[in-house]
Amino acid sequence: MFTFEELCALIRVVSETRVGGVEVERDGVRYRVDGIPPTPVVQAAAPPATMAVGPALVAPQAAVAAAQASPLPAPAAQPAAAPVASEEEENLTYVTSPIVGTFYRAPNPDAEPYVKVGDTVTKGQVLCIVEAMKLMNEIESDTSGVVVKIYPENAQPVEFGERLFAIRPA
Amino acid sequence: MISKVLIANRGEIALRIIAACREAGLATVAVHSEADRNSLHVRLADESVCIGPPYANASYLNITAVISAAEVTGADAIHPGYGFLAENAHFAEVVGECGLTWIGPPPEAIRLMGDKATARRTVAARGVPVLPGSPEPLTSREAAVRLAEEIGFPVILKASAGGGGKGMRVARDARELRHAFDTARHEAERAFGVADVYLEKYLTAPRHIEVQVMADRHGKVVALGERECSIQRRHQKLLEEAPSPALDEELRARMCDAAVAAAAAVGYVSAGTVEFLFDNGNFYFMEMNTRIQVEHPVTEAVTGVDLVLEQLRVAAGAPLSVRRRPRLSGHAIEFRINAEDPDTFAPSPGEITELAFPVGPGVRVDTHIYRGYRVPPYYDSLLAKLIVHGRDRQEAMARGRRALSMFLVGGVKTSIPLHLRILADEDFQAGRLSTQFMERFLRQS
Repeated sequence: MFTFEELCALIRVVSETRVGGVEVERDGVRYRVDGIPPTPVVQAAAPPATMAVGPALVAPQAAVAAAQASPLPAPAAQPAAAPVASEEEENLTYVTSPIVGTFYRAPNPDAEPYVKVGDTVTKGQVLCIVEAMKLMNEIESDTSGVVVKIYPENAQPVEFGERLFAIRPA
Repeated sequence: MISKVLIANRGEIALRIIAACREAGLATVAVHSEADRNSLHVRLADESVCIGPPYANASYLNITAVISAAEVTGADAIHPGYGFLAENAHFAEVVGECGLTWIGPPPEAIRLMGDKATARRTVAARGVPVLPGSPEPLTSREAAVRLAEEIGFPVILKASAGGGGKGMRVARDARELRHAFDTARHEAERAFGVADVYLEKYLTAPRHIEVQVMADRHGKVVALGERECSIQRRHQKLLEEAPSPALDEELRARMCDAAVAAAAAVGYVSAGTVEFLFDNGNFYFMEMNTRIQVEHPVTEAVTGVDLVLEQLRVAAGAPLSVRRRPRLSGHAIEFRINAEDPDTFAPSPGEITELAFPVGPGVRVDTHIYRGYRVPPYYDSLLAKLIVHGRDRQEAMARGRRALSMFLVGGVKTSIPLHLRILADEDFQAGRLSTQFMERFLRQS
C-alpha cells in the first residue's frame, strides 16, 4: 500500500507536470491518478497550470480486480468539479475505435493534435490515428459538433469498440 | 525464448492453452470479439484485448487485428489453437515476419499439407500408402472415367484445396461419375475458390484412424499412438477414442512409422495429426491436420504427455521431452458435448442456467462454460469435452456412462443424450466401428 504522503506526492507530480496521468501498482493494488486536461471553454488563453489541475482522481482498485484487469484501462472517470461534460450528459455521441491498435492524437510526434477538447469538428474530419501493424488509420468524426472529451492518452493502446471521443452534436 | 503468449482463439481450447502457459510460467493475452466479452478465457488470461465485432471474419479471423493486439500487449508468441487461423499459412508467415514466435508448424508445411494433391504426392514419395487414384487434379471428365475404370468403382472425387466434405462426391459407375465431376468442381470452386478435383478409390465402410505426431526443431519426430475417430456425422467427429479397437501392436507400429515419415517429408514441427482410412487391415493416407486437434486429450490420457505444453517447449526451441513412441496406458474416450438438439442436431444457443460437472475417477472436462454463460450463436457449438480414462475399453465405457449421466447442463440442449445412446449400441460396445456407423445408428433410432 502507498502511504498518504506518497499518494499526495503522486498527485502533485501529475498536477504539476500536466501529464495525462499515471498508473502504479504495489502489493496487488493499483492506483491511477488522472490529470485533468486543460479546458478551453470560452477564454482563448490557456488557463494557468494551477487552475487546470483541479482535484486529481485517485482510484485504488481491489487486488482481485487488479489481477484480472485488462491492460487497457477503462475510460477515466471525470471529476465532478471539472468544467467539462460529465459522462452522464445526454445527447453525446461517441467515436469508438474501429480497430485494435495504438491511439495517436497527431499525425506525427512533432505535429499539433488533430483536435483538442472544445474544438468544433465537422462530419468526416480526421480526429486521430489508430495504428495497427504499422498502418496509420485515420479516424474520422461521424458527426458535426464540439469535442467534449478525449478518452485515451496519446500513444495508448485501444481495443476494438473502445471510446475515443465524446462529441456534443451541433 | 518466449515469455508472453497471445491466444488467437476462444472457447475451451483458449482455456486449454492458458492452462499450459500457466504451468510453463508464461504470461497470456486473450483476444476476443464483442460477443465474448464475458468469456472465461478473457477473465483467466493475464491480459485481454477486444479485437472486433461478433462475426469471426471481422475478429478471430482478422489477421491485422490479432497481430496488432500482440503488438500493443507486447506478446512475443502466438498460439492459434484449432480452427480460425490455425491452418492459415499466410498468417503463420505474417507472425514470423512481425518477429513473433509461431506456436505451430512452419508455414511451408501448412501449405504443402493444405493442398491435398501435393500432400498425397509428397507422402507417397516417402513410401506412405495412399489410396489408388489420381495423384494430380483431373484434367477432364473422360480422364476421370478412364482412371476410375482402371482402379475400379466406387470412386470418390475430392477438392484439391478442400476438407470438411465440401466438393466430395461418390460415384458407383461411369454415368454417376460424369455427373458428379461437374458438381464437385462447382462446389470446390465455390467453397475454396479453386475448382481442381482429384479422384480416389472409395472405401464403403472404412475406419477413420489418425496418428498423433509431435516434432521439434531439431529434426526429431515422434508418433504418440493413434485415435479411432470413426464416429462422425457429416464429417464432424462426435466421439473419439484411443487406442483403436482395430489395431494390434504390429499394425500400430506400421501406422506410426508411416505418420512419422509423412511429417518428416514436409519438415514438420509441433503437434500434428496424420489421418488414415483403415480397411481390412490396410491403411491409406488421407490428409494431415497441421494443428493441435479437438480430440488431443485422449492421446494425453493414454500417453501421459501434455501436448500443448510440448508445443510451447518446441516453439521455445527445446527438444522433445518424449524421445520415442510411448507405451499406451489403458483406454480413453472423448465425448464432444455440443449445444445442439440430440435428435435433430439443430444448434441450441442460449444461457446456461444450470451446470454440474461429473466427478470421480478417470474423468476430465475441458470447457469454457459456467452457470450464467450465454452460448453465442456466432461460433461452433462445442460446449465441453468429456474425457474418460480406464484400464481398458470396458472400464472407459462404464466411466463414460457414469460421467455423462452426472453431467448436468440446463438452459440449452446438448448432445449428452445422444452419447448415452451411442454407448448403449451393440456395435459400439463390440468395437465394430466405421465411418458409416452414425448413418446406420441414426436410421435405426
